[in-house]
Amino acid sequence: MIEAFILQASSYASQIDALIWMIIVITGVWFFAAEGVFFWLIWRFRARPGGAPARYVDDPEEHALKYKWIEIPHRLILVCDVALIIGAITVWSDIKLSMPATDETVRITAQQWAWTFQHVGPDGQMDTEDDIVSIDEMHIQVGKAYKYELMAKDVLHSFSVPVFRLKQDAIPGRVITGWFKPTLVGEFDVQCAEICGIGHGIMPARLYVETPEAHAAWLASPTHYLAYQF
Amino acid sequence: MTAARSMTLALSLSTLAGCATELPAAGVARGEVLYQNCSQCHGDDGYGSTLVHAPAIAGLPKWYLEAQLTNFQIGWRGAHADDVEGLKMRPMSRTIKSAADVMVVSEYVAGMPAKKSESTLHGDVAKGQAAYAVCSACHGVDGKGNEAMKAPPLTQAQDWYIVKQLGKFKGGVRGYEPKNAAAATMKDISGGIADEAAMRDLAAYIQTLPL
Repeated sequence: MIEAFILQASSYASQIDALIWMIIVITGVWFFAAEGVFFWLIWRFRARPGGAPARYVDDPEEHALKYKWIEIPHRLILVCDVALIIGAITVWSDIKLSMPATDETVRITAQQWAWTFQHVGPDGQMDTEDDIVSIDEMHIQVGKAYKYELMAKDVLHSFSVPVFRLKQDAIPGRVITGWFKPTLVGEFDVQCAEICGIGHGIMPARLYVETPEAHAAWLASPTHYLAYQF
Repeated sequence: MTAARSMTLALSLSTLAGCATELPAAGVARGEVLYQNCSQCHGDDGYGSTLVHAPAIAGLPKWYLEAQLTNFQIGWRGAHADDVEGLKMRPMSRTIKSAADVMVVSEYVAGMPAKKSESTLHGDVAKGQAAYAVCSACHGVDGKGNEAMKAPPLTQAQDWYIVKQLGKFKGGVRGYEPKNAAAATMKDISGGIADEAAMRDLAAYIQTLPL
C-alpha cells in the first residue's frame, strides 16, 4: 500500500513499510476501540429528565466493572506494546546495528546547502586519485551493497532518501556510517530532513541508481556538476 | 451569508493579502522584491556579512552581477566541493527563475549605494601596491574594474573576501570551468601569488583605494 505512493528501492524498504503497517494497524485498532467506547459511554449515560447523578460506591460489583473496562484493555495494550517493541528492535537491529558485507563505499558530506558525494573511481578504492566527487548527484549501481560515511561541515543535516526508507542525521565532527543496497534502477530524490537554515528547502540532490553498464559509462565520463536550465 | 460570516471572511482575506508580498511585473521594483531573498545574507543594504561570509554587492556593475548569478546557476561557479560559500550561493541563485529576473535583481543591486568596508586583516600595503601592478592590467590602476576585460571593481570588496577569493582561484576552487574565460584567466594569474600573506598584502592595498 505504501509502495503505491512511494517506490521501495532498497533491500530494506519493505521491512520499514511492514513496521509502519504494524504500527498503523495496532494503534488504529486501539484508537477506534477507545473512541467507540468513549462515544458509546457519552450516549449511554446522557442526561435524561429525572435522572439521578451517578455516585461512586465501593462495592464488589464496581471492582468487577473496573476489571472489565480497565484491567483487561490495559493488559492487552501491554501485549501490543511488546509486539511493537520486538518488531521495531528487529528492524532497527537489521538495518542500523548490523553492517553486512558491502561492495563499495560512498562518502556523503552535507553543508549549507549542498550535498557532496565522493564515489570510488574505476579502481574501486576510496581516497585514491581516480575518486569522483560530484555535487548534488549520487551515482550508484543497482544490486551492490554500499557503505556510506556521512558527515556535515557546518550544522545538523539529515540525509533522506525516501525510496530507500533511509533517513540519517549528519552531525558536524562525526562520521556516521550505515549501509544501503539499491534494488531499483531509476532517478530518485535525496532531501535534507533537518532544518539547516534558510536554504534548507532548496537543498535537494538527485540519486541515480544505474545498471552496471550505465554506471561504468558514468565512471568513464562523470558529470561533475549539474547544468541548470531555466 | 450572515454579517458575522461576511466580516470573518473579509478579515481572513485581508490578513492573507497582508502576508503576501506582491511581485511587480517588471523593472527595478520587481528586483527590489526579489532581493528580499538575497538580503538574508547580503543584508538589506547589500554590504554583506562577515559572519556568514557574504560579500558586499551593493553598487557592483549590473553586467558583473548578472554574469555571476548566471555562473552560479549553471555551475560555472560554486559547484566545487571545497567552495563552502559558493555551494551556499548556488541554490540561492537558482531561486531566481528567469533570465529576466536575473537582470532586474542585478539592476536593483547595481543601483544600491556602495560603501567602503572596514579593514579586518593586517597586510603590508607597500608590498601589496607592488604586487597590484599585475592586477591593474584588468582591474585598473584605480581598482574600478573594466567591463571589456570582464574584470569587476574591487574597491568596495571586503579585505577578507578578496583573500578568500584569491585563495579559491589559486586552488582551482573558482575558475575551474574553462568555458568561463574570465574566471579561468584569474585562476591562472592567481597562481603567481606566493601565499596567503601576499594575498593579505594585496587586500590591504586595495583597501586604500577610494570608491
